[in-house]
Amino acid sequence: MLQSFLQYLDSNVTLTPGAAGNYLWATVYVVVVIVGVSLAVLSMNWIERKALAHMQVRLGPMRVGPHGLLQPFADAIKLLVKEDIMPDGADKLVFWLAPVVIVITAWTTFLVVPFGPAHAITDMNIGVLFMLGVSSLSVLGIVMAGWASNSSYPLMGSLRSSAQMISYEVAMGLAVISAILMTGLNDTGIYFHHAVASAFPGVGTLSMIGIVQAQAEQGTWFVFKFFPFGLMAFVIFAIAMVAETNRAPFDLPEAESELVAGFHTEYSGFRWSLFMLAEYSGMLAVSSIAVTLWLGGWLRPFATWHGPRITIPHYWQGGALDFASSLLPAVVLFLLALVCFVGVVRMPKIPVFRIQMLGLAAFGGLLGFIGLVLLAPPVRDRIQDIFWFTFKLAVFMYLYIWYRATFPRYRFDQLMKVGWKVLLPVALGVLIVTAIVGVLR
Amino acid sequence: MSLAPILRKIFFVDLLKGLSVTFQYQDPKEIYTEQYPLERPAIAGRYRGLPRLNVNPDTRETLCIACDLCALACPEHLIVVKSERNAATKRKEVIAWAIDVSRCMFCGLCEDACPTDCLELSQDYEFATYSRDFILSRERLEKGSEPTVYKK
Repeated sequence: MLQSFLQYLDSNVTLTPGAAGNYLWATVYVVVVIVGVSLAVLSMNWIERKALAHMQVRLGPMRVGPHGLLQPFADAIKLLVKEDIMPDGADKLVFWLAPVVIVITAWTTFLVVPFGPAHAITDMNIGVLFMLGVSSLSVLGIVMAGWASNSSYPLMGSLRSSAQMISYEVAMGLAVISAILMTGLNDTGIYFHHAVASAFPGVGTLSMIGIVQAQAEQGTWFVFKFFPFGLMAFVIFAIAMVAETNRAPFDLPEAESELVAGFHTEYSGFRWSLFMLAEYSGMLAVSSIAVTLWLGGWLRPFATWHGPRITIPHYWQGGALDFASSLLPAVVLFLLALVCFVGVVRMPKIPVFRIQMLGLAAFGGLLGFIGLVLLAPPVRDRIQDIFWFTFKLAVFMYLYIWYRATFPRYRFDQLMKVGWKVLLPVALGVLIVTAIVGVLR
Repeated sequence: MSLAPILRKIFFVDLLKGLSVTFQYQDPKEIYTEQYPLERPAIAGRYRGLPRLNVNPDTRETLCIACDLCALACPEHLIVVKSERNAATKRKEVIAWAIDVSRCMFCGLCEDACPTDCLELSQDYEFATYSRDFILSRERLEKGSEPTVYKK
């Protein structure tokens, strides 16, 4: 076991997916993913409040730390020390269970998310199916929360949520199927030609890592494959995805102007924070499906272009473009560190700012140090997959905020109409056309 | 039904327009929020805030001549003026002046009635206090309020 651990650090050896099946690495990745997702949720909390505020011509949090950077931590502490209230008529067991169910389903989906060809907890051969199945279990948690609260608003919210999630799952599933079809349908060859000795035309894969590898081998992201059809399936998924995670403009289950807070009205303190955690990690999970299926997962843009061959002794041998992209994560971290230091320099020189200034400088120093570590060849080669995957996820997270700032909420009948009368037929049509186009070519 | 609206729906033209509007508002120059204790709002000259009793800037003596016109002008009868004849100068001098600000509606009629520019409604809008003594005396009104200055 230790052998494989050390082998992994050796830069000459490239291991197969996630060193999958290796218990030690799986455990390490579980811890890393849980910590990473929690940190991402914390930072997402701050970014959402800031970006939303700026879109609404406000400032957002400004008082806790420089530009409110410590606000999520203050909120977390506040939520943890709040009184734990359980309503009088609530079903105690189910009320207690609902946030747990939601958080478990939101986090279990990360089991199959491929952050890179060698960065995943497991490489499950039915990865997409597993992910869709587990993520749609969260509706159970929502219904439990609404039912156990013994209150009208939560019940209304959870009823809306179940109807909404079930109707959008259909379109979502059809869009996913058309992407899975693309793994097997190819102009030039069959993906499984390499994996399976006898190449059946039309044999694809459900493995999340396999899907990205199929995109790498076909040399195109599935958004651009069979031109408008891949894009259409992606757009359908992108819409259904927002509805699945109960985000604006499909946030009817927690419509704050109609239902107080929807299904989690009666929850407060730590339980409430579990709901928020689940909502944001659910957003991350569903976005990572979209990134994996259509946007090439860990592949960098223009991955087929390598540029002129250059050689730097003991450091790099290969395409110039590959070299530039491998340096990108470190450069981004250096830029962030630079932003921190500019903030330190520009901060007013008043004694009350001393601690903030030192903290920001330390944070910038930490970022710069991480950037330096990323320049080391073994780390550099392994981290850029994670960097590109995270970058694409971040774009999706920004889109969620952007939608929330822009679109008004749908009425319930409009929501149902969009789901059943628009998305479902279009998704079905795209699926059929994709299959036909793929076979005819 | 013409083609244009259908195409607009299919390609999400209206949605993209809305998205571009919100995107442009992200420019930090657009921000309208005032960070109140740090930045103080610009108050209009005609704003009627807490009353103030002006003094003669040279001699630091009050401008009030104890004519009682402000007390008469006040629609809510909130002002009390107490005066006394000075034996030496043979002039009426104010010995106590008080206003109950808790019921004041800042109509400014007292300010208009004052013949000597002594009583004036200032631009001061920060009169939250930790105590309930809203009946302000002459000393307090001559000093004016001293708002806390926040640095952070």
